[in-house]
Amino acid sequence: MSTRRIKRFSKLDQGFHVALMLTFLIQSATGFCRLFITSPWGETLTGLFGGYETSYVIHRVVGFIMIGGFLLHLVYLLSKVNWNNLKQSILGPDSLVPNLEDARHLWQRLLWFFGLGPPPRLDRWAYWEKFDYWAVFWGLPLLAITGLMLMYPVRTSAVLPGWSLNVAVLLHRAEAILAISYIFIVHFFIGHLRPFSFPMNEAMFAGSINIEEAMEEKPRWVERLKTEGRLDAAMAAQPVPWYRVVYFVFGYAALAFGIYLLINAIAYSPYARLH
Amino acid sequence: MAAALALGLSLLPEIASSQEEVASSIRRYKDQEVSTGYYEEYEVKPRHELPLVGVPGVSRGIFPYRPSRAEVRIRTRLEDSHWGIKFYENRRCEECHVHETMDDHTVRANLTCRQCHGGEPIASIDHYYSPLNPIRRHAYVCAKCHEGASASFASYVVHEPPAGAEKTRTSFPTLYYAYWFMLLLLVFTLAVFIPHSFLVGLRELLGRKLKVGK
Repeated sequence: MSTRRIKRFSKLDQGFHVALMLTFLIQSATGFCRLFITSPWGETLTGLFGGYETSYVIHRVVGFIMIGGFLLHLVYLLSKVNWNNLKQSILGPDSLVPNLEDARHLWQRLLWFFGLGPPPRLDRWAYWEKFDYWAVFWGLPLLAITGLMLMYPVRTSAVLPGWSLNVAVLLHRAEAILAISYIFIVHFFIGHLRPFSFPMNEAMFAGSINIEEAMEEKPRWVERLKTEGRLDAAMAAQPVPWYRVVYFVFGYAALAFGIYLLINAIAYSPYARLH
Repeated sequence: MAAALALGLSLLPEIASSQEEVASSIRRYKDQEVSTGYYEEYEVKPRHELPLVGVPGVSRGIFPYRPSRAEVRIRTRLEDSHWGIKFYENRRCEECHVHETMDDHTVRANLTCRQCHGGEPIASIDHYYSPLNPIRRHAYVCAKCHEGASASFASYVVHEPPAGAEKTRTSFPTLYYAYWFMLLLLVFTLAVFIPHSFLVGLRELLGRKLKVGK
């Protein structure tokens, strides 16, 4: 395989992803401490985080960090918009905003699944990558708002009826379960376990992908870079071996911890209550 | 001799009030109150008094109740909500109120029924004497733990109905619709993306095998 690589993510993108990974894993674990406290596994997990009260403190502090990170990302996102060429910036091929082309790619991919057509010729962002990205924009605000309501119930009841806290508990737990299920099943499979990515899709950690891989999965992106004469400028260096070791260990530790949480959550699901 | 006795006493541990071991690993109502919280076990037994008026099917009482219209006595406004129940003094709350013992206040905070509903006779929640009467619930009950609780805060439903149940559609519609919306969202998302991921993996595996075969 060639050692030529194309730059895919900036250092800041990578930083946001690592921060989201860490905070998401901590929130999942400390959230499960509360959700499963009545089960034997819940007690063990809670013990790892210093007990029921301490795990709650961690959950709240990390929640604030997540909210801060999300707001920071919004500022970053706005800074990336080319306000002089707004249409191209939002609807162009480098944008993560979904468009009709994504629907066409989904249809082509369905046909490809059953051997009824060639795979879609994807550009920079595949439709499932866009879904992964925008899912956070739905999930995180919902978790943040309901989390703040539950953190400050008396103040919340000054502006909303007290029964809204019943709904907030349900929404917070259900959305957390949805996010955890999606990340630990779908995202982990796409990122680590499918044949194209196995043993790990390094793009987010290395910041670049092998050009042959890019040609195979995202041929239109590589062609576009060539046509626009930007390919040489987009080339990136091979990540150094020690750094690869670090992110492989980190990535697999996250994967293992996520699967540990998922399996136990399924095993002890009779103890969990949505509200 | 006196000096030796004083020295001996000073070496003994300090005299302490009797204390109760608490087995729970999580927060307890006890933190907020001097009482042990175990009213039912240690402190209060229901009174053994005959009611003045009985209820249908129960022959106790000086003036047996004779329903003219209602067959079942509505118990939400009684001074003693358990009036006339057979063998009440030897029964525990959870024998009848099973669902009410499963909410977070009971399971997580280890609250006992009487800590909110008051001692015997336990008044119906809408009776004027009940601490849970909406006119004073926030101050008499909620504010014990939730400092500053308002009447709005007290509208939190401690004993929630099952969110997905049909009867909840009329009793707590927001909870009902929130539940079904989130459940459908979860099912739809996973029903689309799990097969999608599986098919991607399978197709890529087959594609690679074909490449190797060539």
